[in-house]
Amino acid sequence: MDIFIQLLINGLLLGGAYIIISLGLTLIFGVVRVVNFAHGEFLMVGMYLVYLIATQFGVHPYLGLIPVAVILFALGALTQKCIIQPLLNADEHIQIFATVGVSTILLNLALVVFGANVLRAPADLGTHAVMVGTFTVVTGQLITFIIAIVLAVLLHVFMHRTYLGRALRAVAQHRYAALLMGVNVNTVYCIAFGLGTAFVGIAAGLLAPQYPVFPTVGTYFVLTAFVIVVLGGMGSLYGAVAGSLIIGVVDTLAGYYIAPDLKEVVYFGIFLLILVLRPNGLFGTSTE
Amino acid sequence: MFKIKKLAVVLGACGVLASSVAWADVKVGALFPFSGALALLGQESYRGLELAVNEINAAGGLNGEKIQIIKADAVDPTQAVSETKRLTSSNVAAVFGSYASGISYAATPVTELAGVPYFELGATAHKITTRNYKYLFRSNPNTALYGVSVVNALHEMIAPGMGLSPKDIKIGIIHEDGPYGTDVAATEKQRAAELGYTVAEVLPYSAKTVDLSSLILRLKGAGVNVVLQTAYQNDAILYFNQAKSAGFTPKVVIGAGGGYSLADTAKAVGPGMNGVFDLDFPQSSINPAGAPGLDKFLEAYKSTYKSDPQSGHSLTNYVGAKAFFEAMAQAKSTDADKIRAAVLAYKKPGGQSANGWGFDFGEDGQNKASTFYVMQWQDNKLVTIAPKDLALGKPVFNK
Repeated sequence: MDIFIQLLINGLLLGGAYIIISLGLTLIFGVVRVVNFAHGEFLMVGMYLVYLIATQFGVHPYLGLIPVAVILFALGALTQKCIIQPLLNADEHIQIFATVGVSTILLNLALVVFGANVLRAPADLGTHAVMVGTFTVVTGQLITFIIAIVLAVLLHVFMHRTYLGRALRAVAQHRYAALLMGVNVNTVYCIAFGLGTAFVGIAAGLLAPQYPVFPTVGTYFVLTAFVIVVLGGMGSLYGAVAGSLIIGVVDTLAGYYIAPDLKEVVYFGIFLLILVLRPNGLFGTSTE
Repeated sequence: MFKIKKLAVVLGACGVLASSVAWADVKVGALFPFSGALALLGQESYRGLELAVNEINAAGGLNGEKIQIIKADAVDPTQAVSETKRLTSSNVAAVFGSYASGISYAATPVTELAGVPYFELGATAHKITTRNYKYLFRSNPNTALYGVSVVNALHEMIAPGMGLSPKDIKIGIIHEDGPYGTDVAATEKQRAAELGYTVAEVLPYSAKTVDLSSLILRLKGAGVNVVLQTAYQNDAILYFNQAKSAGFTPKVVIGAGGGYSLADTAKAVGPGMNGVFDLDFPQSSINPAGAPGLDKFLEAYKSTYKSDPQSGHSLTNYVGAKAFFEAMAQAKSTDADKIRAAVLAYKKPGGQSANGWGFDFGEDGQNKASTFYVMQWQDNKLVTIAPKDLALGKPVFNK
């Protein structure tokens, strides 16, 4: 029983990091309707920035994530304005290729600039484990989880109680109708994309104490993020949170009770099952 | 206008004639991952080949002919195949490669079909040399020997040093689930069984995993006190961090190369890496007395690349390349069958090459005289502790 609870704790906390990454991804898809294949590479850029800030200025990643989130917001907005915007009326596949192109460029740019070395941001807070009763909890994971829930709540409030949030939801529902209602759709797109990548910047800072950075680090997280987003329903914030927690727990339980190399088989299996029963994901709604 | 055009054509023709009349170079292909995820050590491996070629060219070349390298970037097995096709149609006398087993395994059928010798300098998967190829030769030891060497090191040196007898030991074998990890783990398990050790758990995992906490809980639950891991860099770092968090402290940890031999891993893990054992190709931190030519190699590396070697791969590739070039020189021809005969006849006892390896090629092209050395992390440095004449330190046993 003890082990089961420990696994549950590990799983939920693992879901914490995924919540933040998936929220960003689902926001981008929900509003801009673009599958951002470069999402993992933005995470990688964020982690490199956090590393640089930590080594050059001695700032702990948890504080360093604030400027990084701002920089990544700008980067995301820029990507939307310069790369995705011109392609908005083109075939969906073209948009996908554009983000794949961004992904490849960022990855190889990182390889050229930083080399393939594995770099670890020096951080003390967040790397230790504490005992809660008989269970171990890694402080970094706990902090990530708490911030993830806070972000999810803040995002919900933003989307439902502010004009900008409503504008984002309007564009997500129907682009042309929103345009007719006086919403500046292009600005909304830039903000949505920027917010999505800013979230990834926050995730980068929170992940830094646990994971070192190297050019392909994004690919380690992004595939699972995609599974979570589709599982939860593309564009649904509740879905991203629920999906992350489900996948996190399934990951740790399957890793222990079945086998570590069959974890993916189990959660992809559950993923397929849920899609068969609810094709739009757990919380997704069928959209045009 | 017409006159200028004619002049240009004539000059061009002269240029072409001049370059082809130049010293008849021996062209060799170099197939490595120069970009992508494997780039760091692919590049490092290539440097060993390049240094060998520079050395031979400076001394007059291969039987008087300068060696010219044609680089081919193989990011993954698919690209390896297309790049190898390009090399074989560029009239190379041989292809050198390739650091990664997947790349080697994919590229070698192409060269075998084309009748071009393939000299493998660093990839370890056993299955590469089990296909009865005539023109494939490998200077480095393979995974069949790896697992055996790891368990032998445990049995002969580490367990006695720690005061543990086989019945005290519960082994946990954890490995990345690609060909590298799977091959080594299989031979580890087999050798452990032969010697009468209990293998409590064999747990493969994806090298791209971001969480090993469940695996560590399994090891803990099984009472494992000796961990044998075959991992790349990120999973090695992840294992150490998460084992520390979970309070899992096995008495002995032995790695089989990969991430365990890299300075970056030790830096990322910190003091927890000290005491960990590792078996791998000879690193440059071996006793020069047992490795004549090592100092010359290190000097050449430093002056060419302005840094110290990043890993043992450059030395490994350098030693293998030099041996193969010597055999090619003895063949006195670029005919593949003559080269094969020369390589099979090329024998050198240990202790005469820059990393201490000897050379004795079997019918399958595998060098039977190259071995893995035993090392231990001490004070965040990788110290060679065996074989005896190449060791630079003594093992430290934290009982």
